[in-house]
This record gives sequence, structure tokens and C-alpha cells, in this order.
Amino acid sequence: QALAKPSGGSSILVSPRQRGNPVLTALKSIPWEYSDIPADYVLGLTTCALFLSLKYHRLHPEYIYTRIRNLQGKYNLRIVLTMVDIPNHEDPLRELSKTSLVNGVTLLLCWSAAEAARYLELYKAYENAAFTAIKGQQASTYADRLTDFVTVPRSLNKSDAIALVANFGSLRNAINAEQEALGMISGWGGTKVKRWVTAVEEPFRVKK
Amino acid sequence: MSTSDAPQPVKLSLPLEYQQDLFQELRAEDEVVILARGLGLMRIITNLLHSYDAAGNNLIVVVGAEDRENGWIGEALAEHAAISAAAKARGLTVVNTDFQSVGAREKMYAVGGIFSITSRILVVDLLTGLLAPESITGLVVLHADRVIATSLEAFILRVYRQKNKAGFLKAFSDNPDPFTIGFSPLSAMLRNLFLKKASLWPRFQVTVARSLEGRKKAEVIELEVPMTDHMKEMQTAIMECVEVSIHELKKGNTGLEMEDWNLDSALLKNFDTMVRRQLEPNWHRVSWKTRQIVNDLTVLRGLLNSILTYDAVSFLQHLDTIHAAHSPPPGSTRQNQSPWLFLDAAQTIFDTARRRVYAARPTKKISEESNIDALEPVLEELPKWAQLAEVLEEIDRDLYFDPVPRDDSNGTILIMCSSHDTCRQLRDYLQHMHIKPKKGNSNPEEAEDMGDEDKPSATFIMRRKLRNYLRWKSQFAQVSQTLFAENQQALRGAADTRPSRGGKPPNKRRRVRGGGNVGAMMGRADNGSIQQYFEKPGEVADLMAEVQITEEEAQQKPDIVADPLDNMDDYYQLFEMQDLVVVHAYDGDQDEHVLEEIKPRYIIMYEPDAAFIRRVEVYRSSHNDRNVRVYFMYYGGSVEEQRYLSTVRREKDAFTKVIKERATMSVVMTVDSHGAEDPQEAFLRTVNTRIAGGGRLAATAEPPRVVVDVREFRSSLPSLLHGRSIVIVPCMLTVGDYILSPNICVERKSVNDLISSFKDGRLYNQAETMFQHYKSPMLLIEFDQNKSFTLEPFADLSGSISSVNPGNVSNDLQSKIVLLTLAFPKLRIIWSSSPYQTAEIFESLKAQEPEPDPITAVRAGLEKDQSAEDQAFNQEPQEMLGIVPGVTPQNIKNIVLETENIREVANMSEKELEPLVGQTAGRKIHGFFNRNVMEEADD
Repeated sequence: QALAKPSGGSSILVSPRQRGNPVLTALKSIPWEYSDIPADYVLGLTTCALFLSLKYHRLHPEYIYTRIRNLQGKYNLRIVLTMVDIPNHEDPLRELSKTSLVNGVTLLLCWSAAEAARYLELYKAYENAAFTAIKGQQASTYADRLTDFVTVPRSLNKSDAIALVANFGSLRNAINAEQEALGMISGWGGTKVKRWVTAVEEPFRVKK
Repeated sequence: MSTSDAPQPVKLSLPLEYQQDLFQELRAEDEVVILARGLGLMRIITNLLHSYDAAGNNLIVVVGAEDRENGWIGEALAEHAAISAAAKARGLTVVNTDFQSVGAREKMYAVGGIFSITSRILVVDLLTGLLAPESITGLVVLHADRVIATSLEAFILRVYRQKNKAGFLKAFSDNPDPFTIGFSPLSAMLRNLFLKKASLWPRFQVTVARSLEGRKKAEVIELEVPMTDHMKEMQTAIMECVEVSIHELKKGNTGLEMEDWNLDSALLKNFDTMVRRQLEPNWHRVSWKTRQIVNDLTVLRGLLNSILTYDAVSFLQHLDTIHAAHSPPPGSTRQNQSPWLFLDAAQTIFDTARRRVYAARPTKKISEESNIDALEPVLEELPKWAQLAEVLEEIDRDLYFDPVPRDDSNGTILIMCSSHDTCRQLRDYLQHMHIKPKKGNSNPEEAEDMGDEDKPSATFIMRRKLRNYLRWKSQFAQVSQTLFAENQQALRGAADTRPSRGGKPPNKRRRVRGGGNVGAMMGRADNGSIQQYFEKPGEVADLMAEVQITEEEAQQKPDIVADPLDNMDDYYQLFEMQDLVVVHAYDGDQDEHVLEEIKPRYIIMYEPDAAFIRRVEVYRSSHNDRNVRVYFMYYGGSVEEQRYLSTVRREKDAFTKVIKERATMSVVMTVDSHGAEDPQEAFLRTVNTRIAGGGRLAATAEPPRVVVDVREFRSSLPSLLHGRSIVIVPCMLTVGDYILSPNICVERKSVNDLISSFKDGRLYNQAETMFQHYKSPMLLIEFDQNKSFTLEPFADLSGSISSVNPGNVSNDLQSKIVLLTLAFPKLRIIWSSSPYQTAEIFESLKAQEPEPDPITAVRAGLEKDQSAEDQAFNQEPQEMLGIVPGVTPQNIKNIVLETENIREVANMSEKELEPLVGQTAGRKIHGFFNRNVMEEADD
């Protein structure tokens, strides 16, 4: 069965149905091999993907449902990798959104064979990755943090961030600064001063 | 004044013929009014509102007013009410925050009167029925040009018109431009506004022209001021940089419509927004370099303006800051820097800017080494200053010969300029222009300058500025050293660590240059970009000595930066209006007030502004007995002049276009398509097609319903859902943005949101909480209507194994989507190319599902004892707080609940922070706010 340890362990299993698909030629950085599997691609112990071209889907709308049914709910993450290769994609995509909800598959869109291949590679490569990358990272150096902090209010930019500490020394001084003093900084017009002061004075919680 | 058809005689303040015509027209019918800027739109609106206010017993809502307009309307209504002694007038009530609770708002609405309500609150109140649309007497829409099909205002109008067919609806705009863009824009706009008639009032309209060009014309004297050679040189250099940047843009983005991207259009006010709009459809796909250049263009155009407005020293300082901010990141190559910094022209800019401030002293003998570095201040003054002084003198003479005011005006001199910065600068200049610092080491050559003692000059303030600048610069060197230490080290080679002459400890920041051509050559970094120039201590000392405070200067009061108004009583006294010189910045409609209150005899327009000229015309024509003389100043051949001319031309063109379209336009039918619900649709919903024969068993006649988070009303999706006759229930949601059914919860993300919420990990948390409360959470990735329906290209498609190495998760969006789906295999993703499509998808998703329950949706994600209203947070300060090191998604709640605002957190000590976030985090937070880059650098 598909859940059995794949031969290489590190390669993508490809169904023979996919023979001739340009995605395969773009699949370069991860090894792949043919194998008899119900899905089109097996990307890990619990992950599989079906490939669907919208052009084909328009001609054979029932095809994808058969394939999803054949998966029989195996695999934890079932992806329908959909290639958007027709201009009027609205109707099929709406229908596929509904399908993904009803049949429990995850819809991913790609716009070229290379992009599709890249998705497949990424799934295989991240099979055991930690999720730290999407749990939030922050800039590390003081200068970067400073810029990030100051540029949150709209219309303040990097130059302003630097002008701010160059004039006041520390952020604390800048936050406590009078409006007049802020206005003296070159490049700080009325709007910027106002935005900055509102941002640091605005209460965190909405008052009632 | 004929106000015959007003329900009650009210006193109006509309002296001019066109104003009265317009007012009568507005009382009679619903229409959109487009009035040329400066012709007093606000005045007409307030008079109109007052005529309703005085009648009493009505509920009128003003939509789309900004803060200052609210202030203006409020004041004007109170004034009118006092003048015409209207007992029933109740003035304006402003509802602009969530401060007023639901109950309080309901009470206010019940009382009636005139309300100005923020669109987001208004739409929620209309939908929840807090403010029943039927009870509204009429709507007044300001800024009608902003009402596009998907906007909140259009949504408001639709909800209003759906339920209320009798109430009036009047829209106003003073910006004809948006009515000319696109296909038959005027009729499209009218459809959005649910109006049939457009009323256009350009400056060249017959009545307007007749009212303004009567006998009482204002006297205008134009003064063309030439720029100095340095200024011209810099302007040319910047233009060259702009040209090269545009060229680079064109090269990098073939296939865009760019015929009109040239130098001429680059001068226009909105060139960078124009470029941005063109790139917008592909903005998330254009290369990093293109974005960089677009940003550069904004900076360069800002510089063009600063040349004319900033004095020489401030300009140099501004340039220094810009340069520091654009210094390349560590390990960068030539490829990812701003291209303009590599040009010779850039060097010209920096050099010339410096030469306006100081230059090498023309030394007689080049013998001692110290003398080579000798600099002397140049301190070029802005040409307009002298001109201004001259004009004032002329006015003085005029007043001397003709001291008795012949009329009602005050004899005050009003100087108008573009910004508060300029205001301050001019005030400074006028105050000090007659102070001449005597040079301590007076050279014989300079003695001849002293001849014309009373000639006004800015030497005093320029010298003070230079002193401040030199002080600032030495600090700035240290600051930028601490901030960008690693960058500089990476950039500078070993050569720079050589000890400098004189045996002093080498300052790491300073480049060692060959002697000789002092202040003329700009250093270039190893990769060819311009290096920041820092003066040597010897030079600084010299310059400082040059501008040492002289006796005369010392006598002057110290420059008051922040006037605390503490001892007002001691200093307060009334000045004769006669003697006043008032300096003011252009401030839109507010300028009318300024004119009315000051009643100036002389107006000096320090910078051109088309709208203000009209205001003066209106002012002059409105008062028989007031004479005005206007001096109009501009730099010849400058950006300023061109910009002024082109705005005038554009407005005229826009009006002509709109008038043409109105002439040929077919009748706009404003029959609202969703007025009453289609009965057929309502019937079909009662029939369950899944039961053979269409038995009426389970299906209900209930219309489809979606619970929407109130914060989502910033997007156009709720409006579009409403357009598909889905009932929108606005609620304060903690989990999800849209609740389609008891099971389906949708989190909406635009592509930009998606990128940022991956960055700060928000999406991960949101997905987690959605799974706690709903069976089928969905992520909606929504693309913009006009943007291309693709994600950004992969950073690296080369296919090397390292590019997919999980160790270095690259920054592209796709790899993060992959991680997200791996983390949440049950999370469904909806891809939508536009909000329109999203609305369709939502409709089909909830087709067979039961309707959601708003109360359960609100309760989801809340603690037992919390109520939804406690959850109302302000986004911006929270986002800022999230960036502070030591603040984590876990402890941010504590901080937010316990403290008031960012300022309070910044002023807390480590001890105070400890109970909230713990010791380590507390120290980090404290450290971030208190790190002082200036002190550090001194160590």
C-alpha cells in the first residue's frame, strides 16, 4: 500500500498516470520514481497530491471526483494541485472550492509547470520541518527593530526612523517628545508628527 | 437674499450670485455638485445644513467628512444658529469613534439633529438597525469623488436607498479629476451615488465668472524670483537622477504603458502615485529593484521640493539623513542599491548642497597643514527671502504715504506659504532679518559689506543654523555609526583603518582623504556608491570659530522651540491689527476663515496655490469695502512654477471633459436593483430541491445570513455580499472574519496581509483558534480586482537542492503556504481573484448549510466572563508593541490590559515591567526603549 515505507524514503512517488506531464521534467531538485499509488504524487507518509489542469477539468468535470473518491480518505493531507491554464477560471474555481470543503481536500493553485514542481519539491523537503518559519520571526538587530517599530504608523519611513533617534538619542525620548520638538526634525511635516503622536498616545484598548 | 422656499426664514451667508443659485438648486432637488476648488464648497454645505437644522425635527447624516471638516461644520452651524436665532437648531453631533457605546448612540439618534458619522460605524449601525434607514431625513455626502462602486460610502447609500426612498440625498465634491478617469465615469459615479443629476461649477462657468470678475477685482502683482545658480545646478542634477531612474524602470518593466513616463510628467504632483498605480496590478510580482526605484522617485521628488523650501543648511541636513537611510545593507552588492546614488549627478547634488553652506577658504599662503583644511561658511540665502523683505518694505512705504485705511480691512499683512515648516522659517527670518552679527575678526574685505547696514539679511539665522548643524552632525556621525556599524565595516576596506594625522585616536567613521581639494570631492565606497561625507574635527572647529556667537547675537533671546504658554498672562497683550504680519500655511478650506478673520489689506503668496487665488477672489467679491493687494511669488523656471501651471490646466481639462460627458450621457436610472427581494427567489428558497417534489420540509424562508466581523467593513466584501441579497450581521468577532454557517469560519487575507501575517506569526495563531471553535475553518486568499491573479514568482526556480533545504526556509510566499498546510492539514484554502468572486463563492459554500448564529459566533474565543466589548483593541499601537523585543504573542495581552499606551510602556522601569512579562523580557523591553545611540557612541 501507499502507506508502506517508500523505497527511497527521500524521493517523491509518482503514479504512472503522470507520464508525459511537463511537471515531471521540472521536478529537478528532489529525486522521484514511478510507483503504483492511488494518488498522482506521494509527498510523504501522510501527504499526497492530485494534479489537475483546469483545461482538462473543463472537458472532463467528473474526473477529479473519481480520483478523490479513489483516495478513500487515506492520507492526512490531500492536496489538489490545480494548474490555472485557462483565462476564465472563476466558475471552475468556485466549484472546486465547494468540492474541497465537501470532500476534505486542500486546494492549491499554481500557474506554471515549474511552479507546480516547486510545490511538490517543497512538500517533500518540508516533510519533517518545524513550523517556526510561520510562527513569527522578528528582525534581530536594533536598527532593524527600530525601523520596524517606527514605520508601523502610516506615512513614516526609514529615513524618519533614523532622523528620530538621531535627534532624540533614544526611543523613549522620542516617544516623550513634544509635538513642537518633533516638528523641528527635517522631513517631519505636520502629518507625520500627528501620526506619530497619535500612535504612541492611542490607548491599547478602546475606551467606552 | 431670497430664501423664500426655506421652511423658516434663516439667515444665510452667501453673498455671491453663484452661491445663491447653487443653494436654491440644492434646496429644490437631489444632485451631485462638483465645485472648483477654492470657490467655497464648505460654506455652501454649512448654509444648506443650517437651513435644515433651523427647521428642527429631522435627522440628517453627513457622510465622509474628515475631522477638520467636522470641526468647521460644527462651528459654522453654531454660529449660524446664533445669528438667525433659530431656537430649534441643535448643531452637529460627531460620531467618530467607538467611544460612544451602542446605547448612547441609540439615544442620540432618537433625539435627531445633524450627525457626522464615520462610515464604518454608520454602516454597522444601519445594518444592525440601531439607526433605522427609514428614520433618516436625508444624507449629505462629502467627497463624492471617493464613492466608487466597492466603497463603504456606496454601500451606505445602497442600504439607505433600499429602505428609504423619500429622504433627500445630496453629494458634493471639489475634485473633478476622478470623474474623468475610466469609461463614462460620470454616469458610473452617478449610479454609485443613486443620483440622476450632476451640477458642475467650474471657475469659467458664466455665473461664477460674473460674480468674481466684477468691478471689485483683487489687485495682483506677480513676482518671478530667479533661483540661484547652486539651486539650478541641483535641480538639474536631481532631474537627471529622476530621468535615469525612469529609464531604469522602463528597462526593468517592459510591457507596461509608459509613454507618459517622462521628465515633464515627473514634475506633476502625483507622478509617483501614477507609477505605483500602473505597477499595482503586478506590484507583488515586480522585482525588488523596481520597488526600490519607485521609492527613490518619491525621495527625489521630495528633494526637488525641498530645494525651494528648505534653507541651505536644513537642506544639507535633510540630505544627510536621506543618505544615511539609503546606505546599503551589509554585504550588499551594487545590484541592490538605489541606482541614482551611483550617478555623477548625485555627487553634484551632495557637493553643491555642501558648497551652499561652506567652502574652502581662499587661502593666501598654503604653508601650514592646518590651513589646508580651513573652511569658511558661505551660507547661501534663499532668493525669496530678499524678495519678501523688499515687498514688505514697499508695503511699509505705501502705508507711510497713505496711512489711513480707506476701507474696512485691517491693514494686516498676510503671508501664505505651503507648510508649517516654511511658516516657521519665515517667522524666524522676519524676526531676525535686521540683526547683523559683526564678525569678531573683521576682515578689511568684509568691511565694505557692512556699508549697507540696514539691508535685511538672514545671516543671523543662517549662522545659528550652521552651529546647530555642526553640533548635530557630529552626533549624527556617532548615531549612524552605532546603527550601521556592521554595514560600514563591511563596506570599507582595510585602508581606512590607518591612523589619522596628529596622533589623535582614529575615528572609525572618518575617511582618510588626500589633502588639498577640501570639501570638493565626495568619497565613493568600494562598490562605487557615494560615501557619506564627514567633516574633520579641524574643519569643524574652524567653521565653529567662524560662526561663533557674537555680542549682537548673544543679546537675542534664545530660540524658543516649544512655547509652553505657561506665563501667558505676563506676556499677553493685544496688538493693533494694523501692525500685524501674519504668516500662515495653506490649509484647504480653512483659509477662508483666515481671510475673514484677519481681513488683510496685503497678501503675500510666498508659494503659488491655485485654490487660494480663488479664495481671495471670492473674499474680495464678497466684501464691497475691502481692498486687497496680492503679491504672488514663484521661482522662475522651477518645479514649483510648472506644477502650479499644470494643476490649473488639469482642473480645467477635467471640467471640460465632465461637461462633455454630461451633455452626451444617457439618463441614469437609479432604480435600485435590490430594492425589494425578488419574490421568486424568496419562494425558491422555501423549496428544498433535495426532497423529491420540492416538499417544504426543512427549508426555511429565512434569507441567507453571514456574520461579519466589524473590522472587516474596511474591505469591500461585505458590501458585495449585501449586493447579492445576503443579510449581513455585523458583530465583534474574536475568531474568524466571516462566519458562513455554524461550521464554516473564514479568515480573509489579501496577498499583502498574507505576507505580513506569516511574518509575525499571526496567521498561525488564528488558524489554531479557528480549529478550536469550528469544524471547517477556511483561509480565503483574496486577490485584488485589478491585480493579476498570480503569486509572486519563486525566488529560486533553479532547482538546486539547497533551495528546498528545510534549514533555510526561504522567504517566498509559496513555501510558507506549504508549511501552513502541513501544519493544518484540515485547513481549506479558497482562492479568489476578486471580492466579486469571493461573494459568489461564499454564496455557493453556504447553499446547503444552516444559517449561523451571531451570538455563538461572538462567544467563540472569549473567556467565560469576558464580554465582546472588552475585546475592542486599537490595532496600530498593538502592532508597534509586537515589534518590541521581549514582547511575545503570549505576554502582549498582559501588557495591553495593564498599561494605557505605548508612552506608558516606554516610561516604565524594569521593576515595573517585571510583574507583567517577567524579568528577562522586562529587561529587553526596557533596553529597547532606553538604548541611547548618542551616549553609546561616546564611549
